[in-house]
Amino acid sequence: MAAPIIDLDRVSRTYAMGRLAVHALRDVRLQVRPGEFVAIVGPSGSGKSTMMNILGCLDRPSAGRYHLAGTSIADLDDDALAKLRSRTIGFVFQSYNLLPRTSALDNVTTPLLYQNVSRRERVARATAALERLGLGDRLTHEPSELSGGQQQRVAVARAIVTNPAMLLADEPTGNLDSAAGRDVMALLTELNAAGRTIVLITHDAEVATAASRQIHLRDGRIAA
Amino acid sequence: MSPLELIRLAFSRLRTSRLRAALTMLGVIIGVASVVALVGVGQGTTSNITSRLAGLGTNLLTVNPSSGSSGLTLDDVDAVAAVANVAAVAPELQTTGTVATGAKTTDTSIIGTNASYAMVRAYQVWQGTFLTTVGVEQKLRTVVLGATVADDLGLGAAAVGTQVSIEGLPFEVVGILQAKGGTGFQDPDNQVMIPVGVVQKYFVGTGSIRTIGISVASVDEMNAAKADITTVLRQQHGLAASAANDFSILDQAQLLQTASSIAGTLALLLGGIASISLIVGGIGIMNIMLVSVRERTREIGIRKAVGARSRDILAQFLIEALTLSLLGGLIGIVLGLGVSALIGRVAGWGFAFNPTVVAVAVLFSLAVGVIFGVWPARQAARLDPISALRWE
Repeated sequence: MAAPIIDLDRVSRTYAMGRLAVHALRDVRLQVRPGEFVAIVGPSGSGKSTMMNILGCLDRPSAGRYHLAGTSIADLDDDALAKLRSRTIGFVFQSYNLLPRTSALDNVTTPLLYQNVSRRERVARATAALERLGLGDRLTHEPSELSGGQQQRVAVARAIVTNPAMLLADEPTGNLDSAAGRDVMALLTELNAAGRTIVLITHDAEVATAASRQIHLRDGRIAA
Repeated sequence: MSPLELIRLAFSRLRTSRLRAALTMLGVIIGVASVVALVGVGQGTTSNITSRLAGLGTNLLTVNPSSGSSGLTLDDVDAVAAVANVAAVAPELQTTGTVATGAKTTDTSIIGTNASYAMVRAYQVWQGTFLTTVGVEQKLRTVVLGATVADDLGLGAAAVGTQVSIEGLPFEVVGILQAKGGTGFQDPDNQVMIPVGVVQKYFVGTGSIRTIGISVASVDEMNAAKADITTVLRQQHGLAASAANDFSILDQAQLLQTASSIAGTLALLLGGIASISLIVGGIGIMNIMLVSVRERTREIGIRKAVGARSRDILAQFLIEALTLSLLGGLIGIVLGLGVSALIGRVAGWGFAFNPTVVAVAVLFSLAVGVIFGVWPARQAARLDPISALRWE
């Protein structure tokens, strides 16, 4: 078996809320191997968002170790972490999080900007990514001129344009009607079939069925 | 990220919020424009004063009696004329009076002097001749009109040989001077010149004179001439070796230096006051950048999530502030140069482009951008990506 891309070893995350300590994650062990499609499912308050932040290297564990693509993130400073994040993970958010007043093309080129890719190559790769997602005729449209489903597809294009090992999707269908939601799930399934590791975070058991493995979170622990 | 990409990003940002960018830059535009314009005006004034004083003759020495002394006499004038390196000496005894011809009258300065006055004070004769040595010795009632006086009386070239009355006495016009030009403190053309003996006899009733004007043969000999003249005059006045001079000798070059240093200080002062508005403009930029960081919190979160490091965000916001201040500075320079060219044109001293002022203005607006851009940029760079992404 290939080395895991995600390896959480007894990871906990505790927030201090005044004097109260909130245990958002407790002793989580999780391994995800390359090419897997994993859904992390749980109701609100189960620690999903914390899980997403930890997996996406936006936050660090309070205890335990997290190896991402073989690198222990505890050993990295913020800049090195930003670099690892930009090369390894593509994010898809519930609220799309596109840059406002910025064309679809420029939105998709942004991650490449921070990888010092030349302008010509940026445009070529972003155009290719958008065309692959059926948005070839929407390159110059700004987010406000696109439907929710189209915006989410732009977000997916932005996530895959850096060719990351893994996609981290946080409630990608949450803001979409069911047709557009199915569309996006089909897209993720297709990307997974093409070999991309996908970690899907959702509260929706039906959406989670698209994944090949489901992990249920409850009160900061993995339920099984 | 390369600086070029950052600048491109900053410009595309400015394009999407043009009005705000323009208003933000306005402070810097006004600040830089007023600094450039005021320094330009200050320099124009300085060079104007300098050239005006130079027009009075750079190798000019003037001797004035100290207050309380018995004054200077025509004998002093003769004694000074004998000093080496002295090219010309003219006594000056000034009063004011009314000059009239026909129905027209004008009030003007009446200067009693000799034939050397035109050379000493650097006047050119336009029509006729200047006062003659013979005429001065004979105390003939002859007059040379300054250009302004001739204009005021409506006299042209044909007036030479005719008569005008000064304080009621008839004088023959022997010449009219060329205009020296210049407006401002004292019009050098608003005067008439008559023999010094005539002034003493009819108008002031004194044997002394007010001023001795001396033209030194060359500028290099100024100090030597000054020393020789001092010695001669002390002898003339019979001063004991321990006594102080009862006269003072004024050097035109000194006057020039003093005047231009005053004008320079004035320009500096004006520029200093104007630079306060530049600081206010900088604070305006900081203000807008801080608001912008708050407004764009989500954008910062997104950028961090897709791989921007803190320093990328810092650089992005800093470059944005710099672009605003530098662009504002450049517009301000153009505006300021335009204004100072306009003022120079109206005031009639021409327009001198000063690259130093432009360079300083550019550096200053750069500094404003950095100083007032760093804080907002740091605020942006420090944002935590998780909370920034949740920001609504």
